Amino acid sequence: MASMKDIKLRIKSVESTMQITKAMELVASSKLRRAKERVEHSRPYFETLYRTLYDIAAANTEFQSPYLTKREQKKVCYIVIAGDRGLAGGYNSNMFKAVAADAEGKDYCVLPIGKKAVEYYQHRGVPLVTDAFGIVGDLSVSDSFEISRMVCEKFLKGEFDAIKIGFTQFVSMLTQTATVLPVLPYDAPRPERGKARRELILYEPNSEAVFDAIIPEYLAGVVYGAMCESVASELGARRTAMDSATKNAGEMISSLNLYYNRARQAAITQEITEIVAGADGANG
Amino acid sequence: MATFSLKVVTPDGCVFDGAAVRLVCRTITGDVAILARHSDYCTALGMGEAHIVLEDGSTRKAACIGGMLSVMNGCCHVVATTWEWADEIDAERAAASKARAEAILAQKNLDEREMELAQARLKRALVRTSVAGK
Repeated sequence: MASMKDIKLRIKSVESTMQITKAMELVASSKLRRAKERVEHSRPYFETLYRTLYDIAAANTEFQSPYLTKREQKKVCYIVIAGDRGLAGGYNSNMFKAVAADAEGKDYCVLPIGKKAVEYYQHRGVPLVTDAFGIVGDLSVSDSFEISRMVCEKFLKGEFDAIKIGFTQFVSMLTQTATVLPVLPYDAPRPERGKARRELILYEPNSEAVFDAIIPEYLAGVVYGAMCESVASELGARRTAMDSATKNAGEMISSLNLYYNRARQAAITQEITEIVAGADGANG
Repeated sequence: MATFSLKVVTPDGCVFDGAAVRLVCRTITGDVAILARHSDYCTALGMGEAHIVLEDGSTRKAACIGGMLSVMNGCCHVVATTWEWADEIDAERAAASKARAEAILAQKNLDEREMELAQARLKRALVRTSVAGK
């Protein structure tokens, strides 16, 4: 059995770790509240955009847009959103795993968002579109527009044939799922020729121009929405991870305390035995 | 005056939700005004001033940049990238941003991308200053 001093030191170190994990948990929960609000605020924007695009694409058979044509998927661009820091359970690695599973056997490049994502893909030697978006926590709406503009331009030039976005969906406080969603080419249920609904909406100047103008906005909206979701998920994951770490530390401390008391008792017993034996020897 | 329900949403949340008499804003093809009982309509927004005339006759001005406008079944949705009420615009910041963009554009050795970015910034700043100045 380890000496009393060793156990005491061990308890101290576990206690200080527990303080840190506890503090991180509290920070994550207070940030999480704000992140959740941001998710809720951004949703109506995104939903309205999506619905309109869907309506345009579903109601027209005649119009063509470079964003709609499906090309042979030779090269795929993944926009991968991960965290800036570790210590969030499986948050980052789940994301990378989901992307890797989806990209299996394909030629792909990555636009990483978040420090962990940039590091991971740099380390692996995957071609990056840009590593300018290193810190996911600081990204604003205008950054997501910048990303969208950059990616759309390259998409139209034919540098890649499809765009997918990998992010972590915030399902609830306890569940977050890493998802990979195809974004472009825009996949709308096209009605068969001649069967289209009669178009009742007036588009100005015409549906194609409106569609092509809205697509980059839509992509930016998707990126922004995904970013909000991911940030919330990261905080959620960190909170859960830190919560269980705190619990584990508590358990460890109580078992170490038990050891410590046992060691103390053993030491006392031994001392008494020695004294008694000594006294016996003196008297005899 | 007849009113219609108007909803203005941006990525940061809903900025206006209520009844309006008239909405004027700049689209990619020019200014349009939406009145009550407009037919179903959809267009993309440009950069410019927008204003809403409320039921009591008062007008609220805003800088509206990018996004789309749709009217569906009498409900008007404005999905704007940026929507800033005139009284909330930081005029000083806009002026500073304008000066910065002009300084960048004054340089000769710009590549195409930098040029584009600076021009976009200048345009935004001009819209903001003009809306805030009135």
